Amino acid sequence: MKYFPLVWNGLWRNRARTLFTLLSITVAFILFGILAGVDAGFAHSLEASRMDRLFADPKFGTPLPISYAEQIARVPGVLVVAPRMVLGGYYQDPKNGLGVMCRDVRFFSLRPEIQISKQQMQLLERTRTGAAVSVELARKYGWKVGDKIPLNTTTAQMDGNKVWTFDLVAIIDDRDYPGEGGWFLANYKYYDEARLDNKGTITRFLVRISDPGRGAQIGRQIDRLFVNSAAPTRTNSERASTQSGLQYIGDVSYLTRAVLGAVFFMLLCLSGNTMLQSVRERIPEFAALKAMGFSDNIVLLLVIGEAVLLCIIAAAAGLALSELAIPLARTAQDWLYILQMPWLAMLEGFGLALLVALISALLPAWRVKQLSVVDALARR
Amino acid sequence: MIRQILAVTGMGLRAIPERPGGSLVIVIGMALVVAVMISILSMSTGFMRTVHNTGRADRAVVLGRGSQSEFASEIPRDSVVAIANAPNIRTGADGKPIVSADALVSVAVVKKSNGLDAYVVLRGVGPEGFALRPEIKLLSGRMFRAATHELIVGKSALTQFEGLTVGSQVSLPEGDWTVTGSFESNGDEVESQLLADSETVLSAMRATSFRSMTVMLDRPESFERFRAALTTNPALTVDVKRETELLAAQSKDLNRFLTMIAYVVGGIMGLGATFGALNTMYSMVSARLVEIATLRAMGFGGAAVVVSVLAESLLLAFLGAVIGAAIAWIAFNGNFHSVGGLVFRLAVTPGLVGLGVGFACALGFIGGLFPAIRAVGLPVTTALRGG
Repeated sequence: MKYFPLVWNGLWRNRARTLFTLLSITVAFILFGILAGVDAGFAHSLEASRMDRLFADPKFGTPLPISYAEQIARVPGVLVVAPRMVLGGYYQDPKNGLGVMCRDVRFFSLRPEIQISKQQMQLLERTRTGAAVSVELARKYGWKVGDKIPLNTTTAQMDGNKVWTFDLVAIIDDRDYPGEGGWFLANYKYYDEARLDNKGTITRFLVRISDPGRGAQIGRQIDRLFVNSAAPTRTNSERASTQSGLQYIGDVSYLTRAVLGAVFFMLLCLSGNTMLQSVRERIPEFAALKAMGFSDNIVLLLVIGEAVLLCIIAAAAGLALSELAIPLARTAQDWLYILQMPWLAMLEGFGLALLVALISALLPAWRVKQLSVVDALARR
Repeated sequence: MIRQILAVTGMGLRAIPERPGGSLVIVIGMALVVAVMISILSMSTGFMRTVHNTGRADRAVVLGRGSQSEFASEIPRDSVVAIANAPNIRTGADGKPIVSADALVSVAVVKKSNGLDAYVVLRGVGPEGFALRPEIKLLSGRMFRAATHELIVGKSALTQFEGLTVGSQVSLPEGDWTVTGSFESNGDEVESQLLADSETVLSAMRATSFRSMTVMLDRPESFERFRAALTTNPALTVDVKRETELLAAQSKDLNRFLTMIAYVVGGIMGLGATFGALNTMYSMVSARLVEIATLRAMGFGGAAVVVSVLAESLLLAFLGAVIGAAIAWIAFNGNFHSVGGLVFRLAVTPGLVGLGVGFACALGFIGGLFPAIRAVGLPVTTALRGG
């Protein structure tokens, strides 16, 4: 610790150079922070998708009869079956797309992450045209409990009207994505009675099973029930669906890792070059230190300490800035709500900084350690 | 003046090998920025190329009113006849209007690369479907026959998904369908799909309405008249769009998203690389301070010095950009990528390379400008004493 002023002054020996190196490393760490946030966000959505929750979906896009629920419930290992239908539409402007989950009370036992009180639940079941929405949606559109919400859809009601109106009875939250989630829940009974076509059909059964390890097997059993019917199913665990869903938008983690690799390489170049230059210029000074009695190892540590200090300061600044950037990004783009900045990613960032510092200090530090005092002082 | 510039610049450039570290920082930094930016943008260009290949100005798509995509749309059977009888539709040699009412089904398949579930679109086309889409060419096997459970597979779908080779069976409603052939379609969206007879698909699905209807117009300019005829017909509740417009609208979001990522990532990395360049050029200038002051004392103008510093940093940035573009081209050009069900090839185009090189040169310019100003800003006498 007593050598800290020495390291600190060494670092700022050439102010401009240190400042530019610091800035460039900081910028690289801002990028690292954002990319790590994207990666962590995808990892989180994978983690939040459960193995003991299966989705029985239409294999060919044709809606499934709701009567399948009883047959699925009889498959050994199945605990609860909850049907749901999505009514797609928009609020006021086609840009404000919404998916209304038309479901019944069983839905909540399949989605325990939805935070809704007993009272709200009862109110929703009692109100035929009732709806419960996530805090995020309520905030975005300024909805309050008691509001009537008209949605434009492409689904006709019995009278031909394609505008569906819901009564907001509850504002809810999601434990996995606090403040986000985007739920718009309504009653299947109301929807099915009011719609013109496809009565008695749904687009997904959520199935809770007792043993998460048997998901694939139970899924196959469910599919076998309907394999020869007009509307066969394809059942997968939520985890598997999320995986293929993430795949659907492209291989994101490959992309982030590739960019991170490039960033790491860039960091090495920047910091390595600065350390080399800085030490080369100060060879006589290090020789003087050695002549004064500093041991080879202490001088070596001084150089390493400088590199570590440089990288850690820059990493701290960069990660802090990316931490600030993430909430901004979230508000700028809806889908960016998945961005996360877990402590682990922060630690990884500092680990990376340390690694870069050590690698870039290796060569110059070794040179200083091997330095012959007489030669260096004579500037040979 | 020019001779001065050339002389000083030549001196600077010849000295580059003496400072390999700093020069490498600029070259490598720019190479990485350009490689990353071009790679991401190549996704966007490849995607747009695929989408645009599908579109023809003389084809119009009819969707159910208010539908944003084919999948959300419904065209009842009785509307099909009314649409086919509308004016300004080109007729084939047999006198029939060139139209196709399409039925779409998602078919569950497994992706070859990772074994994960995916969906591929089976498009049922009408009898005139191939007159409507002359770009579809059979590659192997034979055409499907109507009223049998047969289909043909697009080239991209074939390479991406398991179990679609000619002769294999695909599980669909009402049993297995045989793949009788494969086709190419000018690298467009349909190439990632399966094709079969629309009536057979509909009856297998027990569905009564089609998803969309595409028509060949007699001339691209008759679009407005065709649209007016349909939208004023009280028996129809449809929207009419040019095929090119529909595709552009659907791909707009993804394109904007990819472009945004490319610029954000490229911009941040570029900022880092610029600081690296500034650093190198400042240290270059301070190392040559005495030399520069000597030149100026001998009568060389400030402009010559500024140009020489800028030229050095621009040259290094340019070199880096070329290396970066080469990396992106070698690593990614022509690679397959799929977003949604659509398979496309990444395309590193000359335009992208130009963009990358231009960006890197702009950064190199900034990286050289301030050090150059410093090089001539110092009074000659001070500089001669070593700053």
